[in-house]
Amino acid sequence: MAIKFSTTFLLRKLHQVTGIVPLGMFYFVHLYTNLTSMNGPKVFNDHVQDIHDIPFLLFIEVFGIFLPLAYHSIYGVLISGEAKVNVLTYPYARNWFYLFQRITGIFLFFFLLFHLLNFRFGLIPGLNMTPVAGHAQEAFQIVSREFQTAWIVAVYILGVLATAWHLAYGTFLFVVDWGVVIGEKAQKLTIRAAIALAIVLGLVGVNAVFSFVRPCGLMPQSLCESPRASRSITAPSRF
Amino acid sequence: MDHEKKRLTKPPQTIKFKIQRREKEGADARWETFEIPYRRNLNVISALMEIRKNPVTADGKQTTPPVWDMSCLEQVCGICTMVINGRVRQSCSALVDDLLIATGGNTVTLQPMTKFPNVRDLKVDRERMFDHLKQVKAWIDLDGTYDLGPGPHISSEVAHERYVYSRCMTCGCCLEACPQYSEDQYIGPQAIAQARLFNMHPVGKAEMDERLNGLMEENGIANCGNAQNCLQVCPMSIPLPRAIYETNRDITVNSLFGWLKK
Repeated sequence: MAIKFSTTFLLRKLHQVTGIVPLGMFYFVHLYTNLTSMNGPKVFNDHVQDIHDIPFLLFIEVFGIFLPLAYHSIYGVLISGEAKVNVLTYPYARNWFYLFQRITGIFLFFFLLFHLLNFRFGLIPGLNMTPVAGHAQEAFQIVSREFQTAWIVAVYILGVLATAWHLAYGTFLFVVDWGVVIGEKAQKLTIRAAIALAIVLGLVGVNAVFSFVRPCGLMPQSLCESPRASRSITAPSRF
Repeated sequence: MDHEKKRLTKPPQTIKFKIQRREKEGADARWETFEIPYRRNLNVISALMEIRKNPVTADGKQTTPPVWDMSCLEQVCGICTMVINGRVRQSCSALVDDLLIATGGNTVTLQPMTKFPNVRDLKVDRERMFDHLKQVKAWIDLDGTYDLGPGPHISSEVAHERYVYSRCMTCGCCLEACPQYSEDQYIGPQAIAQARLFNMHPVGKAEMDERLNGLMEENGIANCGNAQNCLQVCPMSIPLPRAIYETNRDITVNSLFGWLKK
């Protein structure tokens, strides 16, 4: 007898996959690019330029980021609406994590909307109006100008921390829901690994935020490479 | 669990029972408080019986005796499940001394389970759980026209694991505590564990696809939110999350990646 998929089942599995494969992967790439700002504006802007040079960029952006992101976030908010929260009656760690995954998800829905409009599109009146897309060589200046405002820095720190937790714990949920990690002991170990990943991603992410405010972020500046000459000058010309 | 009997050193003269009442399904709920003299070794059911003898509220108003379900009185039938001091459990095994020690007061609050239709007072209709057992075909087809002979051998590991799942008494604690369970949105841990019980049986395995199909429906296993409250509240200590995750693996292997075998 063949097994028939229900719509809910397929939508849930797609939700889980989109969270890991395009979005989780993209998060690491994004974090890496942001961290290059530790080494100064030129290095960061060159990396932003590298992204601009990716072949089929618009195609990748739409099908690899925007569509999965829209699906994952909208369906995620719908799933969150199903929750009958009862952490006060049943105050167990996993029940709190269950709630926290939904809270961070809903927060990230609004944060990412803000983040995209703020930097990718430059469309929030009163804030930055220069889209980073198409202005790679101004990328660092756009972000650091925006980070002069304390509440924006606070919002981005919250966004980075929420993403770190949501991605790390979401990865744990993925391996559980796909029947990879089954036993109680194995799950305990995997949760610990997820928490460790969340802490590392969170700390590194916060440093990436601060590296737009001060060279090398919160780290001692001796750890970072001294700003080097722009690649666009030292690198051989293309033709 | 620690089963050492805890006793109140200075018991109160009387105990108050705050009970959520409802005349019939759909009627408004109201609260009534009863006061009965304290006595050693009371459990919630013997206290309810005491109230039933003389149904007068603490402020002297004559009322109807509260209605509740009970049967075995030894926590194996599951029917007396209710929400006691905010937490779901069986009322037969809820000892008044333990409840008073935990709260430090002299009031015990009783409510019906919130995730099932409330028939009257503390009585709920749990038929939905039995519909869910039908949905996952929680049985093994054995009746036939000829003798099937002795059953297949089951290893002691499998027998042991199946025994744990077979302890389920369909009480509804896991559904009451599950943040994903409400109405028919999610089939819930109990039916998934019973599907697992019969999928693990060497004869029952033959109908595994039918059970997985039942768990694949719109209210199926994919709605699990991994809060694992079921594990914490199950009075029979059934590893319900394990049943869910083992079944997740069966579904991943047999259906999600099933097309790879075609």
